[in-house]
Amino acid sequence: MAKIRTLALLWLLALAPTCALAQHAGHHNMQLDTAGMVMNANHDRLPRGCDAISRDYDFDIAAGQEFAAAVPGTSFGLSMHEVRVEPCARVTVNFSNRDEVRHQWMVHGLPKYLYPTGMFHLEANAGASVSGTFIVPGDDRTYLIHCDMAQHMEKGMKGQLVVGKGSGNLWSVPGVSRSFYRDSYLPRGSWLPLSAVFLMGIIVATLWVRRGR
Amino acid sequence: MRSTRLALICIALVLLAWPPQWYPDTVRIALTQWFGAAPWRSLPGPLAANAETPEDYCPGGEAGWRDEQEIEGVTVQAVAGCVADNPWLVAAAVRGTNNVSHRVLMRSGLTADAVEKGADLDGDGDPDVIHIRLEVAELNGSSAESRDPVTSYALAPGITPGLWVFAPKLAGMATENFESNQARSALRLPSPALRVEQGDRVIITLENTHYMPHTLHLHGADHGFTTATGAGNDGVPLTSEVPVMPGMARSYELTPRHAGTMFYHCHVQPHVHVMMGLQGLFVIEENRPNNWVQTINVGAGQVRAPAVAVRESYQQEYDLHYLDLDQQLSERIQHSNDPRVITRSMHREYDITDASMDYFTLNGRSFPYTFRESLVVAAPGDRIKLRVVNGGAKGIALHTHGHKFVVVAEDGSAVPEAARSARDVVWLATSQRAELDLILENDGVHAYGPGIWPFHDHQYQGVTNDGIGPGGNISAIVYEEYMGESGWPRTQGVSWDNYFTVAYYRKQLPVWQSYAPGLFGDPGPDWILLLRLSVLMLALGGLLGTLLSWLRSGR
Repeated sequence: MAKIRTLALLWLLALAPTCALAQHAGHHNMQLDTAGMVMNANHDRLPRGCDAISRDYDFDIAAGQEFAAAVPGTSFGLSMHEVRVEPCARVTVNFSNRDEVRHQWMVHGLPKYLYPTGMFHLEANAGASVSGTFIVPGDDRTYLIHCDMAQHMEKGMKGQLVVGKGSGNLWSVPGVSRSFYRDSYLPRGSWLPLSAVFLMGIIVATLWVRRGR
Repeated sequence: MRSTRLALICIALVLLAWPPQWYPDTVRIALTQWFGAAPWRSLPGPLAANAETPEDYCPGGEAGWRDEQEIEGVTVQAVAGCVADNPWLVAAAVRGTNNVSHRVLMRSGLTADAVEKGADLDGDGDPDVIHIRLEVAELNGSSAESRDPVTSYALAPGITPGLWVFAPKLAGMATENFESNQARSALRLPSPALRVEQGDRVIITLENTHYMPHTLHLHGADHGFTTATGAGNDGVPLTSEVPVMPGMARSYELTPRHAGTMFYHCHVQPHVHVMMGLQGLFVIEENRPNNWVQTINVGAGQVRAPAVAVRESYQQEYDLHYLDLDQQLSERIQHSNDPRVITRSMHREYDITDASMDYFTLNGRSFPYTFRESLVVAAPGDRIKLRVVNGGAKGIALHTHGHKFVVVAEDGSAVPEAARSARDVVWLATSQRAELDLILENDGVHAYGPGIWPFHDHQYQGVTNDGIGPGGNISAIVYEEYMGESGWPRTQGVSWDNYFTVAYYRKQLPVWQSYAPGLFGDPGPDWILLLRLSVLMLALGGLLGTLLSWLRSGR
């Protein structure tokens, strides 16, 4: 496996100049095969402020519509919406796609001197698995994880990568935080009991004042 | 005593402040006999002109995309207009994403399996086993964190209705990049025009990347009711199959025996799903030797690698996809982020029998953006093939200036030579297709000579954006001598500055402002009348208060 990775890296380096011409921004350091793609993998380049790799993590993360069942109001989901790691850790994600369509696992906001456009990106084809490794910076921060296919993040495929203590939860991460904008789920006809209660308040107050006189 | 004085003051104020024009005409005429006409007071002057800077008419796309080029043996025709499709995607759609080099595939943005082309079954030098993969994308959708439409796609300045489209299978992100909220160029309205050859063994796999159930129905294209394995192949939930659920995929099969211009669309709750944009042209080209057809035409429009039979008779070929949209339907995906609430809103609360259409698109844009990418640019003597579909809920009366079209086929069937005539209005009912010959022969019938000749739906709502004109599906046939280098036609009429602002289509600008400032500009407010009415209201209030206090004290 390690040998394949090394070969892939060498191949990538040879290919990098042509990839940089690609129409879609960020086609740098891309590894593409029938299972999907890994973009901006990083096994050994340390972020500034890290003297050594603090720890190695290995996460199995699955994606698909089956994970939406447990989260009302979503259509797609992840087996793990929050990933917590120590600063300067090396993180390997084994991303498996349980659906018959593409899915992505992308981290945003990483330092651009290591990760072009600040992104680490896994894309798994239908039913396939891809693995990728990256090294997180040394400061406490929370990073966005999502699938960037149209509406997949909005409909459930959102997560967060918490490095160290993190920098506060992101909004609308299923199982972690609420939506910033939330639909109204009031039962129909709620205005009737609400108005009745409001009227009751007026009556009670009036009676109370009159009794006190 | 004090209250009587107050009441009298109030009455006096009411009489003084009462606007003279509100007295009955008889009173005013009587007063005129004594005092003559009221002295001159100027009407309010015009409001200050709008300061919004217009967008670039022609922002230009990626460098080199418009040029004619040869990519791995595929000749990709030049685009004279402002914005062109990705030529690498065109080449990959002709050769097949499995047959091009890694470099071309990367530059096309397609996945390796987006359009697979296999065996040459009839031995005539082109592939006949074609596998197309389509995804479903939502444009201008909602988000739980932002009120702005996500994966944004504008039909015209500031107009971003919610849309659903079939999309070619693209690798990577839906947006231009992470910092941008703009949909990438190949992710757009309309769903791509698909092209195969007569007799091809075609498989279309619908990969449902959307959060609602969908199917694929091949309208007018010769397909079996079931696939070889007995699975439903007509796309109709009522009679053929259970829809493809979110995250699932299904393959449809056909071996079309007849060439012609057909149609494909989703058949789940069609009055909603088809009208949201889940529809595209499906073109079956005549079988010819060495006929490599452009299987995907992103956003319809100019076919940059026309098929052999088309090249034999025509200089150019264009796919023209007309679609109207109802804002009251398309905004529903923007009001909620919960698929359950959206489903209820779209399929139960929306009522198409009460609908009126608001936006009218040609190849996914409305005027003025139609001029960026849907011009038909040609030279005298050219013969041009237009394949037209009306995917809208209402018919279109397609009219061209300066020319008459010849209708050579309707709904994929040829019109007999003897029955053909030159027409300047062609009616297309909902989901009808027509193949039109545009013959630039200056004979007074087919063409009247060079110029910039608009073509548009002649039903008047169709040339507006939500009732504001010019808008809708207006485009033009532009002769080369009238085209600028940058791809913008050298029009000689009025300034278009207004039309490239958001404010104009939000109904905030006087219609002639950009070329005749001040002419029928919006009048300013009458502050003097407002002051007068404020005094009147104060006095009337005082009077009412006095009367009430009298009533309470029993006087």
